[in-house]
Amino acid sequence: MNDLVTLAGSAIGVLAMVGAAMALGFRARARLTEVELSRIAVEEGRTLQDVLIAPDARCALARLADGAVLVARALGDGVSARIVSSSAARVTLKAGRLRVALSDIGYPPIELRLQQAPPAWAVAMAQGGPT
Amino acid sequence: MGGGDGARRTDMKAPIAPPFEIPDIVTYAVPGFILLIIAEMLYVRAAGRGRYQSADSASSLWMGFGNQVAKVLLGGFVVASYFWVAHFRLFDLGWTWPVLVACFFAEDLAYYWFHRISHERRWFWASHVVHHSSQHYNLTTALRQTWTGAIGLAFIFWLPLVWLGFPPVMVLMFQSISLVYQFWIHTETIDRLGPLEWVMNTPSHHRVHHAINPRYLDANYAGVLIIWDRLFGTFVPETKDEKIRYGIIMQLGAFNPFRIAFHEWAGIWRDVSSAKSPGEAWGFLFGPPGWSPDGSRKTSASLKAAWRAQYGSPAPSPAALVPTAQPSQAETLHAGEGAGGPY
Repeated sequence: MNDLVTLAGSAIGVLAMVGAAMALGFRARARLTEVELSRIAVEEGRTLQDVLIAPDARCALARLADGAVLVARALGDGVSARIVSSSAARVTLKAGRLRVALSDIGYPPIELRLQQAPPAWAVAMAQGGPT
Repeated sequence: MGGGDGARRTDMKAPIAPPFEIPDIVTYAVPGFILLIIAEMLYVRAAGRGRYQSADSASSLWMGFGNQVAKVLLGGFVVASYFWVAHFRLFDLGWTWPVLVACFFAEDLAYYWFHRISHERRWFWASHVVHHSSQHYNLTTALRQTWTGAIGLAFIFWLPLVWLGFPPVMVLMFQSISLVYQFWIHTETIDRLGPLEWVMNTPSHHRVHHAINPRYLDANYAGVLIIWDRLFGTFVPETKDEKIRYGIIMQLGAFNPFRIAFHEWAGIWRDVSSAKSPGEAWGFLFGPPGWSPDGSRKTSASLKAAWRAQYGSPAPSPAALVPTAQPSQAETLHAGEGAGGPY
């Protein structure tokens, strides 16, 4: 019983602190840009070749000059990115959406709503071919 | 000397029981944690020093809540393990002032080695990675705690103290004190603290520990006293030349507490399942985080070696420390690879 009371108190405390953070305006959200993606690629010694950024700029898929791909997502006010070989990214195209999944459960799939026809390299990835 | 027959064990129960009631130190500290976190948020908002993001803080705080749930569910197992080992203790040290002082130092030393090995061996890293998985460094990060510490057998590092003869409750008490002490050092709002920096673990020292800049990797494992890092050669001072970046090399892509809690365990499972030999499986389980049979993944050692090769060792000139000296936000993976990177 004591444990339950303590846990209930902790849960209320968590809600209070999260509420305080939101009330104080700590709600900054990063937006991905081609410049930012290029910077990430360059830091890894790679070159950006083509890029698909979601309309809300919260996730992106980029093709690199060496054939690898850069998967990126905004996470709060930060960015989390992975560079993988094209065969390590499972790409699906469905109903105007492009979904990219990696094998890492710490990195959930990203989903981009497409506003125009996807580039050929993305279509090739979705079909399991080389980019 | 301890051990022996049942009658002897009964005689020895008295020295290991505390002579006074010891409160649940961490639970009593929680209201203070909440007040200090809100105070830090107000300071960050007012002074613009430090950084908060509500979704990140929420994930950290729910990890702390889950850690409490895990303690309710599994804490009895840990305590029972301490008392079981106490049956075989070498000495009856009892509850005296000299023993209390000795236990404080012994617990802090045990913490140092627990912490160091938690960074150097993937099995223990799988639990500890949780604490490092925020890209922010503030008081909520202190509460971003593992859910799998007991299952991952993190407590074994303190069992030698009980075996030596320190009363189990005394060891648990100093573990709680250490945990509470370490709360306040998770902040960017406090600069260096003069002579205290020589002896105590401070916000400055611990910022270095949470950094992913190559020059700071594998450093400052201290709990309360920084003397252990100075003694064992793992001390690295904070420099103003280079902006610290926090988190892990393979930054998580989610705020979901369940993904945070279990992602590295899932990575171990995947790697061990695909291991081609017992040696590979052993490496994936107990090698350094990022270990791979062909060396294609990044480990802390390989990152530091690359950094030294580029900028020289041990300390590059400030002019050389351009932002590109820092690890990037992207982690390069090879086909079919997943998690398992360091820091």
